[in-house]
Amino acid sequence: MSFVEFRFLWFFLLVFVVYWTIRGNSARKVWLLVCSYAFYAAWNWKFTFLVLGSTTVDYIVGLMLGRSENPAWRRFWIATSVCVNLGVLAFFKYFNFFVSSASEFLAWIGLPASVNTLNIILPVGISFYTFHSMSYTIDVYRGKQRPISNFVDLSLFVSFFPPLVAGPIVRAVYFLPQLGSPRKFANVDVRGAIILFLAGFIKKACIADGVAPFADRYFAHPANFTATSAWIGVLFYAIQIYCDFSGYTDMAIAAARLLGYQLPNNFQFPYFARSVSDFWRRWHISLSSWLRDYLYIPLGGNRGSRAFVYRNVMITMLLGGLWHGAAWTFVIWGALHGTALLIHREWMRLTEGLKWAAHAMRWLAWPITIYAVCVAWIFFRAQDLSGAGTILKQFALFHGGGDEHFHRWLLLVIVALVFIHWLNSRRWFGEPWRRWPAPVFAAAYGCTFAVVLLFVPPHYTPFIYFQF
Amino acid sequence: MPFREFVPKAHIERPAPHQPTGRNTARALINTGIGAAAFLVTCIGLRLVLPFPEIDGGVSQKFRFFAAHKDEFDTLFIGSSRIYFQISPAIFDRATRESGLPTHSFNFGIGGMYLPETGYLLEQILKLKPLKLRWVFIEYDELQTKWSPENQTSRRALYWADWKRVSLLLRKLTDAGTDAVWANPAKVRDIILHQKDEKSTRTLLTFYATQFEKNYTNVARATDILNYFLDRDTKERRVSYLGAAGDGYVTRPNRMSPSQAVGYERGLATAMAQSGTRPLSSYTLEAYRQCGQEVREIGAIPIFLITPSTTQIGIKSENTGLSGVMMAFNNPRTYPNLYRTDVRRDGQHLTRSGAEEFTRIVAANFVELRRTGEIK
Repeated sequence: MSFVEFRFLWFFLLVFVVYWTIRGNSARKVWLLVCSYAFYAAWNWKFTFLVLGSTTVDYIVGLMLGRSENPAWRRFWIATSVCVNLGVLAFFKYFNFFVSSASEFLAWIGLPASVNTLNIILPVGISFYTFHSMSYTIDVYRGKQRPISNFVDLSLFVSFFPPLVAGPIVRAVYFLPQLGSPRKFANVDVRGAIILFLAGFIKKACIADGVAPFADRYFAHPANFTATSAWIGVLFYAIQIYCDFSGYTDMAIAAARLLGYQLPNNFQFPYFARSVSDFWRRWHISLSSWLRDYLYIPLGGNRGSRAFVYRNVMITMLLGGLWHGAAWTFVIWGALHGTALLIHREWMRLTEGLKWAAHAMRWLAWPITIYAVCVAWIFFRAQDLSGAGTILKQFALFHGGGDEHFHRWLLLVIVALVFIHWLNSRRWFGEPWRRWPAPVFAAAYGCTFAVVLLFVPPHYTPFIYFQF
Repeated sequence: MPFREFVPKAHIERPAPHQPTGRNTARALINTGIGAAAFLVTCIGLRLVLPFPEIDGGVSQKFRFFAAHKDEFDTLFIGSSRIYFQISPAIFDRATRESGLPTHSFNFGIGGMYLPETGYLLEQILKLKPLKLRWVFIEYDELQTKWSPENQTSRRALYWADWKRVSLLLRKLTDAGTDAVWANPAKVRDIILHQKDEKSTRTLLTFYATQFEKNYTNVARATDILNYFLDRDTKERRVSYLGAAGDGYVTRPNRMSPSQAVGYERGLATAMAQSGTRPLSSYTLEAYRQCGQEVREIGAIPIFLITPSTTQIGIKSENTGLSGVMMAFNNPRTYPNLYRTDVRRDGQHLTRSGAEEFTRIVAANFVELRRTGEIK
């Protein structure tokens, strides 16, 4: 069940009505927990046991950490939590990747080994709820979060359905306090939430799914296309992944808000970033801040020599890339971003105080950043490394191999979407709605939704981040 | 950035404004009602003004052509590829003209079109009120509930999904009968619990319910507006669906290979060895009853046509309870020439010469029935 399917609207209507009809906070949480598990079971009910198992382990670890003062025992319990969570993630997501990579490496050094991969189904959203769950035990270990004695609270935190399968990654310290007090409907910004839901719906169902066939067609056979079409294909993919992921996030945040809960913001107009470093403050914020606080800083962060800091940056970005998927293309994507971050740092250090550099960057910072981000997207989307090489040749060197091409007017579509995005960043679309009287707003919303559906493709395309 | 900056004070509840709860609830319900009403009115309004959808497989081309020439034809053939590639209006009209009972016919066969799509398209054709239309040949076959996965995502699987069609499919899937009351709790229980080989039924129920919702909310109809104004239909494209004569018939000349012929012979022998006839389901008959009634309402006569194919052998054509004429060509013993290997492309279709032969037989039957007064 996905946010853009009709059945989700019926599901959410039921959840919403029953939730706000129930009086007690405990009963409401139980209802949300049941609904969250039902939501997850709609994909594969067997994997609900995985969510339950992960929650149970972290619940026990949290309690044990709360009871123990002995540093050695505390280290043992946190290691247990991290090993179990990452072990499950490694098995379901990375087992085949590691096995096949090891086999290829052995063959490369002249020791061919016959290894079998397993037919493993990747549980949807495993990377997200594993990080939700781990944030709890790590924060308890660090003393930033009180251990939770109420199993329902922890279960609901891990499995709360809006961010369950594709984020944003919610931390325990952010979400658990919200479960402590009953939500009041009078405090819910219904208008803001449903505008956000509609915005997310348009991004995903109209824009991302609308441009997806072009991007898919190009990335399936890049060698057949001209260089201009390669640019269109890559830029369309950049639009697709942003609208797909941020659309999901908007809808998740809106759904949670309608139930009285706040989720962290995940995007802040990333394609308007003026450096790769700025990009990561705007793109998938919940992941980048998670990696910073639970990986980069524990590795040493900015403390130490320049080489040491750069090592930390590269490790964080490589693992960030690997988090997205079990393939070398994702690792290279992470490496490219890591390298771009280092280049940016060096540039800032070397040009500090130079007026000409600051002046040049006023004009060049944005195009350089967007170009670098798009080059990295090539590896993120390409089916394999050789395919990525072909695309890179077309995109970077403007060297098209084939004669298949897209209509040139698709470039105008890109310009139009950028312009709409810019207007949106200036709050042109969201704000006027807020000033209208409620009945006018309701009528306008209903009409707009009906018109928006005209632009939704007949087929449903799964969210890209579901596979992560 | 310090960690605490990423933990905004989102969880701190603002004090709720002091307003009577009952009044707020009533206001919220009224606004929700206004929103829902605006949504529905817009959907209905858009549905009324939108042009006929742009559907692949020649549906749109044939519909547009027929709409432009609707008052020229008195005979219509509608059905799947077994009509599309096997009934030549030119040969049919020549045969009837030579018999002194001339007709002007059009082939509205579409590849892969079965009930319920046929029923919907026929309804749209009849809504055009073709003045001269007198005889409508409707292919007679079982109501299909399954769509191949690749077609499920196309608009072809969407545009016909109105309540009349979807309710019949839901009834068939849940075996709820064709009476006013839907009732088969045992079947519903099996579907919910995935018992007794009902694993795919739940998926199909969800699929058709979704198609219904998508259809009535005009999902993906923006392209129709674009197509309507840009008119991107080329002459080559029209000819590929309407045929060289512009009568809707397209030839398929290729014959079977020797190995295919062996497989065909085997399949034919197996089908002929099976004794007895099999009636179509009550849901199918209900769909044909509706089609027949609609045809009669414009003053035309429905003629149900069973084509010569190996999967049609054994379909019961007598005592169907339908108020129309039945023409059955599904008996290889009665029509051996239509089942000869040299006139077949496969078990379902005839070659060009086979199609011409079949058309002449249909025309001869038609003329005969008109002479005897069974078809007026």
